[in-house]
Amino acid sequence: MVFPIVRRCLQSLNNAFLHQNLHNISSLSVIKRYESTNATVKNTEIQSTIRRNIDPAIRARLIDFGKYVAECIPKYVQYVQLTAGDELEILIAPTGILTVLSFLKYHHNAQFVSLADICGVDVPNRKYRFEVVYNLLSLRFNTRIRVKTYTDELTPLDSVYDIFEGANWYEREIYDMFGVFFINHPDLRRILTDYGFEGFPLRKDFPLSGYVEVRWDHEKNRIVYEPVELTQEFRRFDLSAPWEQFPNFRKENPPSEKISLTEKIDK
Amino acid sequence: MATLIKKSTGLTGLKVVHNPEHSLRVVYGKILRAIQKIPPGAAYRKYTEDLVKSRLQVVMDNKTVEEIENKINCGQIEELIQQAEYELILVRKYISWKPWEPLSTQAPLNQWKWPPTE
Repeated sequence: MVFPIVRRCLQSLNNAFLHQNLHNISSLSVIKRYESTNATVKNTEIQSTIRRNIDPAIRARLIDFGKYVAECIPKYVQYVQLTAGDELEILIAPTGILTVLSFLKYHHNAQFVSLADICGVDVPNRKYRFEVVYNLLSLRFNTRIRVKTYTDELTPLDSVYDIFEGANWYEREIYDMFGVFFINHPDLRRILTDYGFEGFPLRKDFPLSGYVEVRWDHEKNRIVYEPVELTQEFRRFDLSAPWEQFPNFRKENPPSEKISLTEKIDK
Repeated sequence: MATLIKKSTGLTGLKVVHNPEHSLRVVYGKILRAIQKIPPGAAYRKYTEDLVKSRLQVVMDNKTVEEIENKINCGQIEELIQQAEYELILVRKYISWKPWEPLSTQAPLNQWKWPPTE
C-alpha cells in the first residue's frame, strides 16, 4: 500500500523540522522541498476528500496527554474524550477555565500558545444550555486540543483575555450571538449585529425571521425598522422521515469516546 | 562567543539573549524554589520538578549553547528561556489556585451527552 511510504516521508520531514537549527536553515529548506515534491509525486492515489487512516501511535499519544492533563488538574477536569478518532477534548467545570487554559499554554509539555477559536453551542434542554468551546494549537508539538465548558444565560464565565489576547473578539462574538457573559473582559460589546439589535441570533429560540425587518422609506427618506409581518401563518413542518436513513451505519463512528482516567499513564 | 555569531533568533519578538545559560539557570532555580510550596503528592509538581531538574542538569553539564539546544531538543535557547518563564508564571498561579484538589463540581446529568436527545 501507499500509506507507509507517505508516513515515512512525512516522518523524515518531521525530523528535519525537529532538528532545524538556525545555522543550516538554507540547506534544510532545499531538502524539504525535495522531499515534499517526492511525496506528492508518489501519492497520486491519495484523495484529499477521504479521511486518512488514524495513526494508532498518534492516538495513543493523545490519550496519554489527555490523562496527563487530567492527572495534573484533577480539580476541574470532568472528562477527557477523543472525538472523530483523533481529536482530543477536555471537558471541564466552568470555574476552571483559567486554570486549565493557563496549564495548556504555560506548561512545558503542552505549549498550546495559539488560540485558534472560541465558539459556542446552544442546547436548550440541558440544565446549562450553552457550551463554550476553546480550540488551541501547539506549534511546538504540532497538535491541537479542544477544551469545552458550559454555562447558562446568567452565569458569567471567566474571560481568558489575560492568557490569550486574541480571545477579546471571540468572546465578544459569543456574547453577541449567545448572550454569554464574560467577567474581566476589557471591552464586552456587541460585535457582529446591528446597532440597537435586540436578542441573540444563534440561540435556538431566536426565530429564523428575526424580530424586526428593515426597509427604506421614501417619505421619511430613511431606513425604518418594523416588527416582522409574515404573509403566511406559521406552519410546523415535519420533515423527519418515518424510516431510518442509514441503517448500515447505525453502529459506525461513535461521535466521541471517553478516556478512562483511573488508569495511570504508562511511562 | 555565541553572542558574536548570533544576530537574531529568526522569531518575531524574541530577542537574542546575552549569557543565556546563566538566565536559564536562574529561571529554573526560581521554578524549583517556587514549586516547593505545592504539596509533594501533586502530580503537577512531580512532573514539572522532574522535567525542570533534567533540563537544569543538561544546562549544568554542557558548556556550549549548541550542545544544550541539541540535548534538550525543544527549540533555541531563547525559546527555552521563554518556556521556563511561562512555567514560572504557571507555578506561581497554581500555588494560589490549588488545582491538585479533588474534583470541585460534577457535571450535571446529560451535560456532556451527544447527541443531546435520543
